[in-house]
Amino acid sequence: MRRDTIVGLVSLCFGAVYTIQAFQLPKAAIGNPWAPIYFPATLGVLTMLLGLAVLLVDRKRAAAGHRDKAGKAKDPGYWILTGGTILLSFAYGFLFEHIGFIPSTLLFLGGLLFLVNGKSAWKLNGIITVLFTLGLWVVFVKAFQINLP
Amino acid sequence: MDILQSLLYGFSVAATPINLAYMAFGSVLGTVLGMLPGLGPSTGVALFLPLTYAMRPETALITMCAIYYGAMFGGSRSSILLNIPGDGAAVASCFDGYPMAQKGQAEAALAISAIASFIGGLLSAVAFVALAVPMARFALRFGPPEYFTLMVFALAATAAISKEALLKGMISLLIGLMITTVGIDLQSGVQRFTFGLPELQSGIDFVVVIIGVYGIGEVFKNFETIKAKGAQAIQRKFGRIWISMEQWKRSWIPILRQTPVGFLIGILPGAGGTIAAMMAYNNEKQLSKHPEEFGKGAVEGLAAPEAANNACSIGAMIPMMTLGVPGSGTTAVMLGALLILGLQPGPLLFQHHPDVAWGVIASLFLANVVCAIINIPLAGALVRVLSVPPRILYPLVIVLALLGVYTINYSVMEFHILVLFGLVGYFMKSFKIPTAPLILAVVVGQSMEQSFRQSLMLSDGALSIFVRSPICITLLALAAVSIAWPFVSDMIKRKEPPKPAHAPAAPEE
Repeated sequence: MRRDTIVGLVSLCFGAVYTIQAFQLPKAAIGNPWAPIYFPATLGVLTMLLGLAVLLVDRKRAAAGHRDKAGKAKDPGYWILTGGTILLSFAYGFLFEHIGFIPSTLLFLGGLLFLVNGKSAWKLNGIITVLFTLGLWVVFVKAFQINLP
Repeated sequence: MDILQSLLYGFSVAATPINLAYMAFGSVLGTVLGMLPGLGPSTGVALFLPLTYAMRPETALITMCAIYYGAMFGGSRSSILLNIPGDGAAVASCFDGYPMAQKGQAEAALAISAIASFIGGLLSAVAFVALAVPMARFALRFGPPEYFTLMVFALAATAAISKEALLKGMISLLIGLMITTVGIDLQSGVQRFTFGLPELQSGIDFVVVIIGVYGIGEVFKNFETIKAKGAQAIQRKFGRIWISMEQWKRSWIPILRQTPVGFLIGILPGAGGTIAAMMAYNNEKQLSKHPEEFGKGAVEGLAAPEAANNACSIGAMIPMMTLGVPGSGTTAVMLGALLILGLQPGPLLFQHHPDVAWGVIASLFLANVVCAIINIPLAGALVRVLSVPPRILYPLVIVLALLGVYTINYSVMEFHILVLFGLVGYFMKSFKIPTAPLILAVVVGQSMEQSFRQSLMLSDGALSIFVRSPICITLLALAAVSIAWPFVSDMIKRKEPPKPAHAPAAPEE
């Protein structure tokens, strides 16, 4: 599917859902009861209209033979890095308040570096993990007096 | 005289040891971030934002400005040495900077880019001083309808930066405004789009959105090609980093000529450093007696865009400081920082917090000097940062981003929201949807809605209030022109006879 077709469809659907949600918002108890609804409802309707416009322009371009510009070639399996980072971030969120900043960051950063920089550079990964974690702790806690768990 | 005294007061604020130390730190950090491809001034300022909570407002702003100028200075380093622009504004520096380095003139290229940036920045700072107070005084006439229409203009101009991306820019803008509707409505107390989650009652913090879209989104995008981005082979040994008299003679007029161009483009919302630099490059090429040398290492082809993009970064601060409306992604982040620190940017900033307003203006001069010192004699040492492989750099950026957003509310819920907006940023970049309108909208959205509703309250619900004053009409007309301009300019270009092109194509931003 063409890139702009996806953008148009997503905008249209998202705008529709948002507009429906906007009209279901509770009304204001004082003043104009519709006041909290006007602005979001306008945004939702405009998003739908723009989504539709993107679709129409894209159809016109497709009919005229325009093709999507090819992007840079992606590394095979690049999504593993993105997916792995997201999973590690959620795990970090869980561990952060339970075991504290230093142990959780050592695990998280270590994990990220192994994921992104590879297992073969384990010595470098380990050194960077320890130095960066401790450095951050010094900057945040000691220099900026920001409390971390 | 009044302005001069205020400026002197500003220097007394900016030149305190602590502010000078942070200025130097910000300049180095900005230069380094500007050099690294993929991490521009917006990301740098956004990542630094959480650390400002513990700072005095003027120190925080001075440091952020230093990061911004530093990034503008640093952006061209990788353009010159690697032919990879550090940020969008440094694209034009590749055209002649890299050929100069290829011809064995890397030292001169590094020097002229820093000298041009310095002169461009300094002259623009003078213009800033001259314009700031009159503009702030003029802005005192603004009421809610004028502010609403001003924000409409700023957002429309940012979204409509190109004809191709116009519709998608508008969608980006609307999504940003939608994000600001999450949470308890300040005027009615109604909860909107919180889905029963108490964490969403206070809304989605724009810092999380900014760091997510710019920081994490950029890292996710770069993950797509990270294997190809190993350690770059880079020139490590340099001779004296300076220019010859001949090179100076060829450069000084282009620098002086293109500085006002960059400055004026900076004041306009939406048109950022990339446009300023490209326009300066094209102008000089057209004015040059030797246009055939452009793209082959013409020193003025490097000096002109460098002066323009630094002038642009200072020009962009004018609407932010005097009107309270950001004109670019980076100034939107700075505006956000001011709001977090409890200050309302705009005309009253100069009256209520002259230490912040004039301290920041004075820092424009000082930071330029600091950046020039860092980027001329220390350039040889700093460019070694370019040999740090992204495989190591990006995990560190992710940790910094997560830790930064944690300090907003001391809640790990922010981690999840950050990752979500990282994905939003990634998909926006993948589908070529401009991110700057979203960021601007997230920062100004809430006050835009408040101005809109206050205006309607003043007029008993009549929308005609937005066309009653000449300021509103002018701003709405400017918004309409900004949206129409990409189409008009396209039509004009189509009518012009085609010109033979011999400049290299701009690398993809």
